[in-house]
Amino acid sequence: MAFFQSLWPPDQVEWTVFQRGPMALEQVFNAPPDLLLVDDDLPQLSGPTLVNMVKSENVYRQLPVVLCLTEEKPLENMDFHAVEMDDFLVYPISPLEARSRLSLTLHRASRELDANPLTKLPGNTSIIQRIQDLIDRKEPFALAYVDLDHFKSFNDKYGFSRGDEVLMMAARVIVNTIRSFAGKLTFVGHVGGDDFVFILPPDTVESACQRIVESFDGIVPHFYDQDDQERGFILSTDRKGNMQRFSMMSVSIAVIFNTDGRLKHFGEASQIAMNLKKKAKSIPGSSYVLDRRQE
Amino acid sequence: MSEDLRTERKGQLLAVKDLPTLPVVLEEVSKLLEDPNSSTQQIAKLISRDQVLSAKVLKMVNSPIYGFPGRISTIQHALVLLGFNVIKGLIISTSVFELMTTSMVGLWEHSVGCAMACNAIAREAGFKDPEEYAVAGLLHDLGKVIVALQMPTAKEEIDAVVRQEDVLYLDAEKKVLGFGHDRINAWVADHWNLPVNLKIGISGHHRPVTAQHYPKMACVVHVGDVLIRTLEIGSGGDDLVPRLDPEALALLQLDMSQLDKVLDVMLAEIEGDGLSMGLG
Repeated sequence: MAFFQSLWPPDQVEWTVFQRGPMALEQVFNAPPDLLLVDDDLPQLSGPTLVNMVKSENVYRQLPVVLCLTEEKPLENMDFHAVEMDDFLVYPISPLEARSRLSLTLHRASRELDANPLTKLPGNTSIIQRIQDLIDRKEPFALAYVDLDHFKSFNDKYGFSRGDEVLMMAARVIVNTIRSFAGKLTFVGHVGGDDFVFILPPDTVESACQRIVESFDGIVPHFYDQDDQERGFILSTDRKGNMQRFSMMSVSIAVIFNTDGRLKHFGEASQIAMNLKKKAKSIPGSSYVLDRRQE
Repeated sequence: MSEDLRTERKGQLLAVKDLPTLPVVLEEVSKLLEDPNSSTQQIAKLISRDQVLSAKVLKMVNSPIYGFPGRISTIQHALVLLGFNVIKGLIISTSVFELMTTSMVGLWEHSVGCAMACNAIAREAGFKDPEEYAVAGLLHDLGKVIVALQMPTAKEEIDAVVRQEDVLYLDAEKKVLGFGHDRINAWVADHWNLPVNLKIGISGHHRPVTAQHYPKMACVVHVGDVLIRTLEIGSGGDDLVPRLDPEALALLQLDMSQLDKVLDVMLAEIEGDGLSMGLG
Protein backbone atom coordinates (compact mmCIF):
# COMPACT_ATOMS: atom_id res chain seq x y z
CA MET A 1 0.00 0.00 0.00
CA ALA A 2 2.88 2.28 0.71
CA PHE A 3 3.76 1.79 -2.93
CA PHE A 4 0.50 3.38 -4.15
CA GLN A 5 0.66 6.12 -1.55
CA SER A 6 4.06 7.10 -2.87
CA LEU A 7 2.79 7.52 -6.45
CA TRP A 8 1.33 10.99 -5.94
CA PRO A 9 2.12 13.69 -3.35
CA PRO A 10 -0.41 13.50 -0.48
CA ASP A 11 -1.90 16.92 -1.29
CA GLN A 12 -2.94 15.65 -4.73
CA VAL A 13 -4.25 12.18 -4.00
CA GLU A 14 -5.64 11.02 -0.73
CA TRP A 15 -5.78 7.28 -0.04
CA THR A 16 -8.03 5.59 2.47
CA VAL A 17 -6.88 2.06 3.28
CA PHE A 18 -9.03 -0.81 4.55
CA GLN A 19 -7.68 -4.21 5.47
CA ARG A 20 -11.01 -5.99 5.18
CA GLY A 21 -13.69 -5.93 2.51
CA PRO A 22 -16.79 -5.40 4.67
CA MET A 23 -15.37 -2.27 6.30
CA ALA A 24 -14.45 -0.83 2.92
CA LEU A 25 -17.95 -1.48 1.57
CA GLU A 26 -19.64 0.67 4.16
CA GLN A 27 -17.34 3.59 3.45
CA VAL A 28 -17.67 3.14 -0.32
CA PHE A 29 -21.45 3.16 -0.15
CA ASN A 30 -21.60 6.21 2.12
CA ALA A 31 -18.89 8.32 0.58
CA PRO A 32 -17.88 6.94 -2.80
CA PRO A 33 -14.25 7.74 -3.70
CA ASP A 34 -13.11 8.88 -7.17
CA LEU A 35 -11.46 5.53 -7.73
CA LEU A 36 -11.53 2.20 -5.93
CA LEU A 37 -8.43 -0.02 -5.90
CA VAL A 38 -9.20 -3.53 -4.68
CA ASP A 39 -6.72 -6.22 -3.71
CA ASP A 40 -7.65 -9.56 -5.21
CA ASP A 41 -6.73 -11.45 -2.10
CA LEU A 42 -8.82 -10.05 0.77
CA PRO A 43 -9.89 -11.96 3.88
CA GLN A 44 -13.62 -12.48 4.55
CA LEU A 45 -14.86 -10.83 1.38
CA SER A 46 -12.81 -11.57 -1.73
CA GLY A 47 -11.76 -8.80 -4.11
CA PRO A 48 -13.96 -9.95 -7.04
CA THR A 49 -17.00 -10.28 -4.77
CA LEU A 50 -16.45 -6.77 -3.45
CA VAL A 51 -16.13 -5.43 -7.00
CA ASN A 52 -19.39 -7.05 -8.02
CA MET A 53 -21.24 -5.78 -4.97
CA VAL A 54 -20.26 -2.23 -5.84
CA LYS A 55 -20.97 -2.65 -9.55
CA SER A 56 -24.36 -4.30 -9.10
CA GLU A 57 -25.82 -1.08 -7.72
CA ASN A 58 -26.69 1.38 -10.46
CA VAL A 59 -25.76 4.38 -8.30
CA TYR A 60 -22.22 3.11 -7.89
CA ARG A 61 -21.71 1.58 -11.33
CA GLN A 62 -19.95 4.72 -12.51
CA LEU A 63 -17.26 4.40 -9.81
CA PRO A 64 -14.09 3.20 -11.55
CA VAL A 65 -12.78 0.03 -9.93
CA VAL A 66 -9.30 -1.42 -10.46
CA LEU A 67 -8.45 -4.91 -9.25
CA CYS A 68 -4.90 -5.49 -8.09
CA LEU A 69 -3.63 -8.97 -8.96
CA THR A 70 -0.30 -10.64 -8.25
CA GLU A 71 1.84 -12.72 -10.57
CA GLU A 72 1.12 -15.87 -8.58
CA LYS A 73 -2.47 -16.03 -9.71
CA PRO A 74 -2.58 -16.86 -13.43
CA LEU A 75 -4.62 -14.44 -15.54
CA GLU A 76 -6.01 -17.37 -17.55
CA ASN A 77 -8.22 -18.18 -14.57
CA MET A 78 -9.82 -14.72 -14.48
CA ASP A 79 -13.35 -14.59 -15.80
CA PHE A 80 -13.53 -11.01 -17.07
CA HIS A 81 -17.16 -11.41 -17.87
CA ALA A 82 -18.07 -12.28 -14.29
CA VAL A 83 -15.96 -9.64 -12.53
CA GLU A 84 -17.09 -6.16 -13.51
CA MET A 85 -13.91 -4.23 -12.87
CA ASP A 86 -12.81 -1.39 -15.13
CA ASP A 87 -9.14 -2.34 -15.24
CA PHE A 88 -6.55 -4.41 -13.40
CA LEU A 89 -2.91 -4.13 -12.37
CA VAL A 90 -0.50 -7.02 -11.91
CA TYR A 91 1.84 -6.53 -8.99
CA PRO A 92 4.86 -6.00 -9.01
CA ILE A 93 4.46 -3.03 -11.31
CA SER A 94 6.65 0.00 -12.03
CA PRO A 95 5.58 3.27 -10.37
CA LEU A 96 5.30 4.99 -13.77
CA GLU A 97 2.99 2.33 -15.17
CA ALA A 98 0.83 2.19 -12.05
CA ARG A 99 0.40 5.96 -12.03
CA SER A 100 -0.39 6.09 -15.74
CA ARG A 101 -2.87 3.24 -15.63
CA LEU A 102 -4.75 4.66 -12.65
CA SER A 103 -5.03 8.12 -14.13
CA LEU A 104 -6.15 6.66 -17.47
CA THR A 105 -8.88 4.70 -15.69
CA LEU A 106 -10.00 7.84 -13.92
CA HIS A 107 -10.15 9.92 -17.10
CA ARG A 108 -11.83 7.20 -19.10
CA ALA A 109 -14.52 6.92 -16.46
CA SER A 110 -15.27 10.63 -16.49
CA ARG A 111 -15.45 10.67 -20.30
CA GLU A 112 -17.79 7.69 -20.49
CA LEU A 113 -19.93 8.74 -17.60
CA ASP A 114 -21.22 11.93 -19.11
CA ALA A 115 -21.66 10.73 -22.71
CA ASN A 116 -25.18 10.05 -23.90
CA PRO A 117 -25.49 6.26 -24.21
CA LEU A 118 -27.29 6.45 -27.56
CA THR A 119 -25.45 9.15 -29.47
CA LYS A 120 -22.20 9.15 -27.45
CA LEU A 121 -22.34 12.96 -27.50
CA PRO A 122 -21.25 14.84 -24.34
CA GLY A 123 -24.04 15.15 -21.78
CA ASN A 124 -25.17 17.73 -19.25
CA THR A 125 -22.06 17.97 -17.10
CA SER A 126 -19.84 18.68 -20.10
CA ILE A 127 -22.40 21.05 -21.61
CA ILE A 128 -22.69 23.15 -18.46
CA GLN A 129 -18.92 23.18 -17.98
CA ARG A 130 -18.33 24.30 -21.54
CA ILE A 131 -20.87 27.11 -21.40
CA GLN A 132 -19.75 28.37 -17.99
CA ASP A 133 -16.16 28.27 -19.17
CA LEU A 134 -16.98 30.46 -22.20
CA ILE A 135 -18.96 32.86 -19.99
CA ASP A 136 -16.09 33.13 -17.53
CA ARG A 137 -13.64 33.87 -20.32
CA LYS A 138 -16.07 36.50 -21.70
CA GLU A 139 -15.80 34.87 -25.08
CA PRO A 140 -18.59 35.82 -27.52
CA PHE A 141 -20.59 32.78 -28.63
CA ALA A 142 -23.98 31.66 -29.88
CA LEU A 143 -25.70 28.90 -27.98
CA ALA A 144 -28.48 26.97 -29.68
CA TYR A 145 -31.05 24.66 -28.10
CA VAL A 146 -32.51 22.18 -30.57
CA ASP A 147 -35.50 19.98 -30.02
CA LEU A 148 -37.81 17.89 -32.13
CA ASP A 149 -41.51 18.67 -32.52
CA HIS A 150 -43.96 15.73 -32.43
CA PHE A 151 -41.24 13.29 -31.42
CA LYS A 152 -43.42 11.79 -28.71
CA SER A 153 -46.26 10.87 -31.04
CA PHE A 154 -43.77 9.27 -33.42
CA ASN A 155 -42.28 7.26 -30.55
CA ASP A 156 -45.74 6.23 -29.39
CA LYS A 157 -46.77 4.99 -32.78
CA TYR A 158 -43.58 3.29 -34.01
CA GLY A 159 -41.88 2.28 -30.75
CA PHE A 160 -38.75 3.51 -29.05
CA SER A 161 -36.25 1.75 -31.28
CA ARG A 162 -37.58 3.67 -34.29
CA GLY A 163 -37.50 6.78 -32.09
CA ASP A 164 -33.84 6.10 -31.34
CA GLU A 165 -33.16 5.94 -35.08
CA VAL A 166 -34.53 9.46 -35.42
CA LEU A 167 -32.42 10.73 -32.52
CA MET A 168 -29.30 9.21 -34.08
CA MET A 169 -30.19 10.86 -37.36
CA ALA A 170 -30.78 14.24 -35.72
CA ALA A 171 -27.47 13.95 -33.87
CA ARG A 172 -25.60 13.21 -37.11
CA VAL A 173 -27.26 16.10 -38.93
CA ILE A 174 -26.37 18.54 -36.15
CA VAL A 175 -22.81 17.29 -35.68
CA ASN A 176 -21.95 17.32 -39.38
CA THR A 177 -23.51 20.71 -39.97
CA ILE A 178 -21.62 22.22 -37.04
CA ARG A 179 -18.41 20.51 -38.12
CA SER A 180 -18.63 22.05 -41.56
CA PHE A 181 -18.23 25.44 -39.83
CA ALA A 182 -14.77 24.43 -38.69
CA GLY A 183 -13.31 26.41 -35.83
CA LYS A 184 -12.25 25.97 -32.26
CA LEU A 185 -15.47 27.40 -30.89
CA THR A 186 -17.75 24.56 -31.91
CA PHE A 187 -19.46 22.09 -29.63
CA VAL A 188 -22.41 19.70 -29.80
CA GLY A 189 -24.01 18.12 -26.76
CA HIS A 190 -27.00 15.87 -26.12
CA VAL A 191 -29.04 17.08 -23.14
CA GLY A 192 -31.14 13.92 -23.31
CA GLY A 193 -34.18 12.61 -25.17
CA ASP A 194 -34.87 14.83 -28.16
CA ASP A 195 -32.96 17.85 -26.79
CA PHE A 196 -29.61 18.88 -28.18
CA VAL A 197 -27.39 21.96 -27.85
CA PHE A 198 -24.66 23.38 -30.01
CA ILE A 199 -22.25 26.29 -29.78
CA LEU A 200 -20.89 28.32 -32.69
CA PRO A 201 -19.31 31.73 -33.26
CA PRO A 202 -22.16 34.32 -33.39
CA ASP A 203 -21.69 35.17 -37.07
CA THR A 204 -22.12 31.61 -38.39
CA VAL A 205 -25.03 30.41 -36.29
CA GLU A 206 -27.87 31.54 -38.53
CA SER A 207 -26.66 29.72 -41.62
CA ALA A 208 -26.05 26.63 -39.47
CA CYS A 209 -29.68 26.78 -38.32
CA GLN A 210 -30.87 27.09 -41.90
CA ARG A 211 -28.85 24.06 -42.95
CA ILE A 212 -29.99 21.92 -40.04
CA VAL A 213 -33.63 22.74 -40.75
CA GLU A 214 -33.20 21.99 -44.44
CA SER A 215 -31.39 18.69 -43.93
CA PHE A 216 -33.70 17.48 -41.19
CA ASP A 217 -36.84 18.27 -43.17
CA GLY A 218 -35.45 16.45 -46.20
CA ILE A 219 -34.40 13.33 -44.33
CA VAL A 220 -37.06 12.79 -41.65
CA PRO A 221 -39.89 11.54 -43.94
CA HIS A 222 -37.80 8.40 -44.68
CA PHE A 223 -38.20 7.35 -41.08
CA TYR A 224 -41.99 7.00 -41.46
CA ASP A 225 -43.83 4.07 -43.00
CA GLN A 226 -44.68 4.58 -46.63
CA ASP A 227 -48.40 5.20 -46.12
CA ASP A 228 -47.80 7.78 -43.37
CA GLN A 229 -45.18 9.40 -45.56
CA GLU A 230 -47.70 9.82 -48.36
CA ARG A 231 -50.43 11.04 -46.03
CA GLY A 232 -48.07 13.56 -44.44
CA PHE A 233 -49.26 12.97 -40.89
CA ILE A 234 -49.73 10.11 -38.42
CA LEU A 235 -52.68 9.03 -36.32
CA SER A 236 -51.84 8.43 -32.70
CA THR A 237 -53.44 8.82 -29.29
CA ASP A 238 -52.84 12.10 -27.45
CA ARG A 239 -52.18 12.52 -23.73
CA LYS A 240 -55.89 12.15 -22.98
CA GLY A 241 -56.17 8.91 -24.96
CA ASN A 242 -58.01 10.40 -27.95
CA MET A 243 -57.07 9.57 -31.53
CA GLN A 244 -55.48 12.58 -33.12
CA ARG A 245 -53.57 13.66 -36.19
CA PHE A 246 -49.92 14.52 -35.63
CA SER A 247 -47.79 16.39 -38.14
CA MET A 248 -44.46 15.02 -39.33
CA MET A 249 -41.55 15.73 -36.99
CA SER A 250 -39.76 19.04 -37.38
CA VAL A 251 -36.97 20.89 -35.53
CA SER A 252 -37.24 23.99 -33.35
CA ILE A 253 -34.05 25.88 -32.58
CA ALA A 254 -33.65 28.71 -30.05
CA VAL A 255 -30.41 30.70 -30.23
CA ILE A 256 -29.05 33.08 -27.61
CA PHE A 257 -25.94 35.21 -27.94
CA ASN A 258 -23.31 36.04 -25.42
CA THR A 259 -21.86 39.24 -26.79
CA ASP A 260 -20.13 41.97 -24.72
CA GLY A 261 -20.07 39.55 -21.81
CA ARG A 262 -23.78 40.03 -21.09
CA LEU A 263 -24.21 36.59 -19.53
CA LYS A 264 -22.89 36.01 -16.05
CA HIS A 265 -24.01 32.49 -15.36
CA PHE A 266 -25.02 29.32 -17.17
CA GLY A 267 -28.44 29.42 -15.52
CA GLU A 268 -29.23 32.72 -17.23
CA ALA A 269 -28.37 31.23 -20.60
CA SER A 270 -30.63 28.24 -20.19
CA GLN A 271 -33.50 30.35 -18.85
CA ILE A 272 -33.50 32.77 -21.78
CA ALA A 273 -33.20 29.81 -24.12
CA MET A 274 -36.21 28.04 -22.62
CA ASN A 275 -38.42 31.10 -23.12
CA LEU A 276 -37.20 31.45 -26.65
CA LYS A 277 -37.83 27.78 -27.32
CA LYS A 278 -41.52 28.25 -26.57
CA LYS A 279 -41.61 30.86 -29.30
CA ALA A 280 -39.82 28.58 -31.77
CA LYS A 281 -42.16 25.69 -30.97
CA SER A 282 -45.25 27.80 -31.51
CA ILE A 283 -44.25 28.23 -35.16
CA PRO A 284 -45.59 25.25 -37.14
CA GLY A 285 -42.97 23.19 -38.98
CA SER A 286 -39.23 23.57 -38.57
CA SER A 287 -38.04 26.96 -37.40
CA TYR A 288 -35.34 28.85 -35.56
CA VAL A 289 -35.56 31.94 -33.36
CA LEU A 290 -32.60 34.22 -32.66
CA ASP A 291 -32.43 36.27 -29.48
CA ARG A 292 -31.38 39.60 -30.90
CA ARG A 293 -31.72 41.66 -27.74
CA GLN A 294 -28.85 44.00 -26.93
CA GLU A 295 -27.41 43.74 -30.40
CA MET B 1 -27.83 -25.38 -60.95
CA SER B 2 -27.41 -27.03 -57.57
CA GLU B 3 -28.22 -25.09 -54.43
CA ASP B 4 -24.67 -25.62 -53.12
CA LEU B 5 -23.06 -24.14 -56.18
CA ARG B 6 -25.38 -21.16 -56.02
CA THR B 7 -24.58 -20.54 -52.35
CA GLU B 8 -20.88 -20.82 -53.09
CA ARG B 9 -21.10 -18.29 -55.92
CA LYS B 10 -23.23 -15.96 -53.86
CA GLY B 11 -20.56 -16.04 -51.14
CA GLN B 12 -17.85 -15.38 -53.68
CA LEU B 13 -19.73 -12.37 -55.09
CA LEU B 14 -20.57 -10.90 -51.71
CA ALA B 15 -16.95 -11.15 -50.61
CA VAL B 16 -16.46 -7.94 -52.55
CA LYS B 17 -14.90 -5.54 -50.10
CA ASP B 18 -13.49 -2.84 -52.25
CA LEU B 19 -15.36 -2.06 -55.39
CA PRO B 20 -13.35 -0.07 -57.86
CA THR B 21 -14.12 3.51 -58.67
CA LEU B 22 -13.34 5.85 -61.50
CA PRO B 23 -10.16 7.82 -60.80
CA VAL B 24 -11.45 11.04 -62.37
CA VAL B 25 -14.37 11.26 -59.98
CA LEU B 26 -12.14 10.38 -57.07
CA GLU B 27 -9.82 13.24 -57.81
CA GLU B 28 -12.62 15.76 -58.32
CA VAL B 29 -14.43 14.78 -55.13
CA SER B 30 -11.21 15.01 -53.12
CA LYS B 31 -10.64 18.49 -54.49
CA LEU B 32 -14.16 19.61 -53.55
CA LEU B 33 -13.80 18.15 -50.06
CA GLU B 34 -10.70 20.21 -49.48
CA ASP B 35 -12.43 23.43 -50.54
CA PRO B 36 -14.26 24.90 -47.53
CA ASN B 37 -16.63 26.76 -49.86
CA SER B 38 -17.98 23.70 -51.64
CA SER B 39 -21.50 22.60 -50.79
CA THR B 40 -22.86 19.14 -50.12
CA GLN B 41 -24.96 19.50 -53.29
CA GLN B 42 -21.84 19.87 -55.41
CA ILE B 43 -20.15 16.90 -53.76
CA ALA B 44 -23.30 14.78 -53.93
CA LYS B 45 -23.61 15.52 -57.64
CA LEU B 46 -20.05 14.40 -58.27
CA ILE B 47 -20.31 11.24 -56.19
CA SER B 48 -23.60 10.44 -57.93
CA ARG B 49 -21.75 10.13 -61.22
CA ASP B 50 -19.88 7.14 -59.93
CA GLN B 51 -21.94 4.05 -59.22
CA VAL B 52 -19.24 2.40 -57.17
CA LEU B 53 -18.56 5.34 -54.91
CA SER B 54 -22.32 5.91 -54.60
CA ALA B 55 -22.85 2.30 -53.59
CA LYS B 56 -20.12 2.56 -50.96
CA VAL B 57 -21.55 5.75 -49.48
CA LEU B 58 -25.05 4.25 -49.31
CA LYS B 59 -23.73 1.01 -47.86
CA MET B 60 -21.95 2.92 -45.13
CA VAL B 61 -24.80 5.23 -44.14
CA ASN B 62 -27.24 2.31 -44.02
CA SER B 63 -24.96 0.12 -41.92
CA PRO B 64 -26.07 -0.57 -38.32
CA ILE B 65 -23.13 1.51 -37.00
CA TYR B 66 -25.04 4.71 -37.69
CA GLY B 67 -28.17 3.38 -36.09
CA PHE B 68 -30.75 3.72 -38.88
CA PRO B 69 -30.22 0.81 -41.30
CA GLY B 70 -32.22 0.77 -44.51
CA ARG B 71 -33.44 4.39 -44.33
CA ILE B 72 -31.28 6.49 -46.61
CA SER B 73 -31.42 6.27 -50.37
CA THR B 74 -30.00 9.54 -51.70
CA ILE B 75 -26.38 10.62 -51.80
CA GLN B 76 -27.23 14.13 -50.64
CA HIS B 77 -28.77 12.82 -47.43
CA ALA B 78 -25.98 10.31 -46.96
CA LEU B 79 -23.42 13.12 -47.13
CA VAL B 80 -25.17 15.16 -44.45
CA LEU B 81 -25.34 12.13 -42.18
CA LEU B 82 -21.86 10.76 -42.76
CA GLY B 83 -19.97 14.04 -42.75
CA PHE B 84 -16.98 15.01 -44.83
CA ASN B 85 -14.48 13.14 -42.67
CA VAL B 86 -16.07 9.78 -43.31
CA ILE B 87 -16.44 10.55 -47.01
CA LYS B 88 -12.78 11.47 -47.18
CA GLY B 89 -11.89 8.23 -45.45
CA LEU B 90 -14.06 6.27 -47.86
CA ILE B 91 -12.40 7.87 -50.84
CA ILE B 92 -8.91 7.34 -49.52
CA SER B 93 -9.64 3.71 -48.74
CA THR B 94 -11.12 3.10 -52.16
CA SER B 95 -8.58 1.39 -54.28
CA VAL B 96 -8.70 2.15 -57.94
CA PHE B 97 -8.83 -0.82 -60.24
CA GLU B 98 -7.82 -0.34 -63.84
CA LEU B 99 -10.39 -2.96 -64.68
CA MET B 100 -13.17 -0.46 -64.23
CA THR B 101 -11.87 2.06 -66.72
CA THR B 102 -10.91 -0.55 -69.31
CA SER B 103 -13.72 -3.07 -69.35
CA MET B 104 -16.57 -1.11 -67.81
CA VAL B 105 -16.55 2.35 -69.31
CA GLY B 106 -19.55 1.66 -71.52
CA LEU B 107 -21.45 0.44 -68.47
CA TRP B 108 -20.70 3.62 -66.58
CA GLU B 109 -22.22 5.78 -69.30
CA HIS B 110 -25.18 3.44 -69.56
CA SER B 111 -25.69 3.66 -65.78
CA VAL B 112 -25.45 7.45 -65.55
CA GLY B 113 -27.79 7.71 -68.55
CA CYS B 114 -30.27 5.37 -66.91
CA ALA B 115 -30.16 7.43 -63.71
CA MET B 116 -30.96 10.54 -65.71
CA ALA B 117 -33.82 8.74 -67.47
CA CYS B 118 -35.26 7.49 -64.17
CA ASN B 119 -35.19 11.00 -62.75
CA ALA B 120 -37.05 12.35 -65.80
CA ILE B 121 -39.62 9.52 -65.72
CA ALA B 122 -40.28 9.95 -62.00
CA ARG B 123 -40.80 13.68 -62.50
CA GLU B 124 -43.14 13.07 -65.46
CA ALA B 125 -45.13 10.57 -63.38
CA GLY B 126 -45.35 13.18 -60.60
CA PHE B 127 -43.47 11.18 -57.95
CA LYS B 128 -41.87 12.72 -54.88
CA ASP B 129 -38.06 12.48 -54.51
CA PRO B 130 -37.08 11.76 -58.12
CA GLU B 131 -33.46 11.53 -56.87
CA GLU B 132 -34.25 8.19 -55.25
CA TYR B 133 -35.31 6.79 -58.59
CA ALA B 134 -32.12 8.20 -60.10
CA VAL B 135 -29.99 6.36 -57.54
CA ALA B 136 -31.77 3.09 -58.36
CA GLY B 137 -31.14 3.76 -62.05
CA LEU B 138 -27.48 4.43 -61.38
CA LEU B 139 -27.03 1.19 -59.45
CA HIS B 140 -29.26 -1.07 -61.56
CA ASP B 141 -26.34 -2.89 -63.23
CA LEU B 142 -24.07 -3.02 -60.16
CA GLY B 143 -24.24 -6.82 -60.26
CA LYS B 144 -22.39 -6.78 -63.58
CA VAL B 145 -19.49 -4.86 -62.02
CA ILE B 146 -19.36 -7.29 -59.13
CA VAL B 147 -19.17 -10.32 -61.42
CA ALA B 148 -16.39 -8.68 -63.45
CA LEU B 149 -14.46 -8.09 -60.26
CA GLN B 150 -15.08 -11.28 -58.34
CA MET B 151 -15.42 -13.83 -61.14
CA PRO B 152 -13.39 -12.52 -64.09
CA THR B 153 -13.43 -15.84 -65.95
CA ALA B 154 -17.22 -16.05 -65.69
CA LYS B 155 -17.36 -12.48 -67.03
CA GLU B 156 -15.36 -13.57 -70.11
CA GLU B 157 -17.67 -16.52 -70.65
CA ILE B 158 -20.73 -14.25 -70.46
CA ASP B 159 -19.18 -11.86 -72.98
CA ALA B 160 -18.48 -14.79 -75.30
CA VAL B 161 -22.07 -16.06 -75.09
CA VAL B 162 -23.38 -12.54 -75.83
CA ARG B 163 -21.13 -12.30 -78.93
CA GLN B 164 -21.80 -15.78 -80.28
CA GLU B 165 -25.52 -16.08 -79.65
CA ASP B 166 -26.56 -12.40 -79.80
CA VAL B 167 -28.65 -12.63 -76.63
CA LEU B 168 -29.33 -10.18 -73.81
CA TYR B 169 -26.53 -9.91 -71.24
CA LEU B 170 -29.02 -11.09 -68.63
CA ASP B 171 -29.73 -14.30 -70.54
CA ALA B 172 -26.02 -14.96 -71.01
CA GLU B 173 -25.50 -14.48 -67.25
CA LYS B 174 -28.23 -16.99 -66.52
CA LYS B 175 -26.64 -19.46 -68.90
CA VAL B 176 -23.16 -19.12 -67.40
CA LEU B 177 -23.87 -18.41 -63.74
CA GLY B 178 -27.35 -19.77 -63.25
CA PHE B 179 -28.64 -16.33 -62.20
CA GLY B 180 -28.56 -12.77 -63.48
CA HIS B 181 -27.23 -9.43 -62.19
CA ASP B 182 -30.74 -8.64 -60.94
CA ARG B 183 -30.41 -11.47 -58.43
CA ILE B 184 -26.91 -10.31 -57.45
CA ASN B 185 -28.27 -6.82 -56.90
CA ALA B 186 -30.82 -8.18 -54.44
CA TRP B 187 -28.09 -10.03 -52.51
CA VAL B 188 -25.88 -6.96 -52.40
CA ALA B 189 -28.78 -4.78 -51.28
CA ASP B 190 -29.49 -7.13 -48.37
CA HIS B 191 -25.82 -7.49 -47.59
CA TRP B 192 -25.44 -3.70 -47.38
CA ASN B 193 -28.77 -2.96 -45.64
CA LEU B 194 -29.93 -0.74 -48.47
CA PRO B 195 -33.50 0.60 -48.17
CA VAL B 196 -36.19 -1.72 -49.55
CA ASN B 197 -37.27 0.69 -52.29
CA LEU B 198 -33.72 0.83 -53.62
CA LYS B 199 -33.43 -2.95 -53.47
CA ILE B 200 -36.64 -3.38 -55.47
CA GLY B 201 -35.48 -0.80 -57.99
CA ILE B 202 -32.18 -2.52 -58.72
CA SER B 203 -33.33 -6.13 -58.45
CA GLY B 204 -36.73 -5.88 -60.11
CA HIS B 205 -36.00 -3.89 -63.23
CA HIS B 206 -36.22 -6.91 -65.55
CA ARG B 207 -39.54 -8.16 -64.15
CA PRO B 208 -40.97 -4.91 -62.76
CA VAL B 209 -44.64 -5.70 -62.34
CA THR B 210 -44.03 -8.79 -60.18
CA ALA B 211 -42.43 -6.69 -57.45
CA GLN B 212 -44.64 -6.91 -54.35
CA HIS B 213 -43.59 -3.68 -52.67
CA TYR B 214 -42.58 -0.50 -54.43
CA PRO B 215 -43.43 -1.87 -57.91
CA LYS B 216 -43.28 1.72 -59.19
CA MET B 217 -39.58 1.88 -58.35
CA ALA B 218 -38.91 -1.26 -60.40
CA CYS B 219 -41.11 0.04 -63.24
CA VAL B 220 -39.30 3.38 -63.43
CA VAL B 221 -35.89 1.67 -63.62
CA HIS B 222 -37.23 -0.77 -66.20
CA VAL B 223 -38.51 1.99 -68.44
CA GLY B 224 -35.35 4.06 -67.85
CA ASP B 225 -33.16 1.11 -68.88
CA VAL B 226 -35.14 0.58 -72.08
CA LEU B 227 -35.11 4.29 -72.97
CA ILE B 228 -31.38 4.77 -72.50
CA ARG B 229 -30.67 1.66 -74.58
CA THR B 230 -32.97 2.96 -77.29
CA LEU B 231 -30.91 6.17 -77.35
CA GLU B 232 -27.79 3.98 -77.65
CA ILE B 233 -25.92 5.75 -74.89
CA GLY B 234 -23.20 3.64 -73.28
CA SER B 235 -23.47 -0.11 -73.19
CA GLY B 236 -25.13 -2.61 -70.88
CA GLY B 237 -22.87 -5.35 -72.28
CA ASP B 238 -24.97 -6.33 -75.30
CA ASP B 239 -26.46 -4.58 -78.32
CA LEU B 240 -30.09 -5.47 -77.72
CA VAL B 241 -32.95 -3.45 -76.34
CA PRO B 242 -35.03 -5.35 -73.77
CA ARG B 243 -38.76 -5.53 -74.47
CA LEU B 244 -40.66 -2.65 -72.90
CA ASP B 245 -43.23 -4.13 -70.55
CA PRO B 246 -46.55 -2.37 -71.33
CA GLU B 247 -47.85 -3.23 -67.87
CA ALA B 248 -45.01 -1.23 -66.36
CA LEU B 249 -46.13 1.85 -68.29
CA ALA B 250 -49.71 1.20 -67.24
CA LEU B 251 -48.69 0.97 -63.61
CA LEU B 252 -46.85 4.27 -63.88
CA GLN B 253 -49.91 5.70 -65.63
CA LEU B 254 -47.75 6.98 -68.46
CA ASP B 255 -48.65 6.92 -72.15
CA MET B 256 -46.44 7.03 -75.21
CA SER B 257 -46.75 10.77 -75.69
CA GLN B 258 -45.43 11.27 -72.15
CA LEU B 259 -42.50 8.96 -72.91
CA ASP B 260 -41.71 11.16 -75.92
CA LYS B 261 -41.64 14.10 -73.56
CA VAL B 262 -39.24 12.24 -71.26
CA LEU B 263 -36.98 11.48 -74.22
CA ASP B 264 -36.97 15.17 -75.18
CA VAL B 265 -36.02 16.16 -71.64
CA MET B 266 -33.20 13.63 -71.62
CA LEU B 267 -31.80 14.70 -74.96
CA ALA B 268 -31.88 18.33 -73.88
CA GLU B 269 -30.08 17.49 -70.65
CA ILE B 270 -27.44 15.42 -72.38
CA GLU B 271 -26.78 18.25 -74.82
CA GLY B 272 -26.77 20.82 -72.07
CA ASP B 273 -24.72 19.24 -69.33
CA GLY B 274 -23.29 15.98 -70.58
CA LEU B 275 -23.77 12.82 -68.62
CA SER B 276 -23.71 14.10 -65.10
CA MET B 277 -27.06 15.60 -64.26
CA GLY B 278 -30.25 14.38 -62.80
CA LEU B 279 -28.83 12.87 -59.66
CA GLY B 280 -29.31 13.70 -56.00
